[in-house]
Amino acid sequence: MFCYTGLRSAHDRGNGGAMDEDLIAKKDVLEQTGISYGQLYRWKRKGLIPEAWFIRKATVTGQETFFPREKILTRIEQIRSLKEEQSLDELVHILAPESTPEMVKCDDPSLLAPVGTEGRRLMWKDRGYTFGELVALACGAHALRAGTRPAEAKLLVDLVRGAEEAVRDPTGITALLGEKSLDQEGFSVRLTVGVLGHEPVKLDRESRVKHRVDVEKVAEQVKLALREVA
Amino acid sequence: MEGQSISISGSGRVSGGEYGQVRISGSGKVEGDVTAQEIRVSGSGRFQGEVKAKEITVSGAGKFTARVEADVLVTSGSCGIDGDAEVKELRSSGAQRIGGSFHGHYVRVSGVLHVARDLETDVFTSSGRFEIGGLLSADRVEVKLVGDSRAREIGGENIDIRASSGLSFGFSLARGFRLGIGTLTAGEIEGDHIHLEATTADVVRGKTVHIGPGCRIGRVEYMESLEVHPEAEVGERVKR
Repeated sequence: MFCYTGLRSAHDRGNGGAMDEDLIAKKDVLEQTGISYGQLYRWKRKGLIPEAWFIRKATVTGQETFFPREKILTRIEQIRSLKEEQSLDELVHILAPESTPEMVKCDDPSLLAPVGTEGRRLMWKDRGYTFGELVALACGAHALRAGTRPAEAKLLVDLVRGAEEAVRDPTGITALLGEKSLDQEGFSVRLTVGVLGHEPVKLDRESRVKHRVDVEKVAEQVKLALREVA
Repeated sequence: MEGQSISISGSGRVSGGEYGQVRISGSGKVEGDVTAQEIRVSGSGRFQGEVKAKEITVSGAGKFTARVEADVLVTSGSCGIDGDAEVKELRSSGAQRIGGSFHGHYVRVSGVLHVARDLETDVFTSSGRFEIGGLLSADRVEVKLVGDSRAREIGGENIDIRASSGLSFGFSLARGFRLGIGTLTAGEIEGDHIHLEATTADVVRGKTVHIGPGCRIGRVEYMESLEVHPEAEVGERVKR
């Protein structure tokens, strides 16, 4: 087993990252959610909707803006449900990826839903988990829940743990476990590799993806869970 | 926080640091990052390094080669910022140029404003000329056109673009001479309530849209209402 970390520079994300994703046009977002242009632009200004989610594309009617469907709809839902009790500025601290809680120290990660009791066996110390470490654990737990073997889930944890930059700005970042089989002269070997990078992450044709984790989503879940515990 | 104050009235250079007041009335250069309560440039001042201040006033020529952070920035002379600007309140009656993007709460332009990238603020009012290379985003965009302004994109809640009063004499005449009549050119304009005059845009999208005299719009997409002045050209109208 070995790990490979491929972080591309900040410049080439966004357009490439969303190619294979399901997109939704801005006007359809407004129609489906009932929010106004004013709200959308305000949330963008506050950093509640990341710049990278605004994908400009040429269409028959000229330039149009699209969003990753699931991400934008979930985010708007979150903003709305939290807005009842928090001010916009507080929301930024909870939701926006660039305001990752740096000072977090968590002594019992298994209390956080995204880590949970499954994640307990991935833990490597008794106390004092940082935010990045919690996200790493949550990524591992995510894999365990999908039936991955603990040794492989650990691979994922180590991978994310070592990628601080990715956790701080997780927009469009995926961590995955790939498997490659080599069959040769009567014996076969199966290798599991961990890969971390910006979407679209590609494996060669002879490898298959065993498990895929959207690091951004997991980081968000950890943030929300931290709030609930606090 | 209350550091010492410096004043350059001849020609001089100081190094960065924490200051109470920085006053440059001659020709001065500040080398390194600066934090100050107040910065006043009435001569020619050059700041090489990041600048953080409560209040910055430039009535002469100010040049900032990196990022600027301030509660208030007032320009009546000429002020150039090569980096990004994080300024709560910007009032420019002179010439203000920002090489990066601008982020703040209130912007008032009565001179010239040039922003290379995005300008994001809660309120944007202009009775001057502006050029925004990226997105102009605000809850309230209120513009009285003087000269030719442009923005790649404008987005917000209320967008209100008015031509100078000369327009009421008949636009066809005014367009021929274009004397003192301002125009706005934008790629895309999106808002909940939009009122446009003397504006050329590829696409306008809004809830309630009013296209006034002198506009040339490629395509209007509206949700609730659309009014088009007889002296406006609209290519396509789509109700969603």
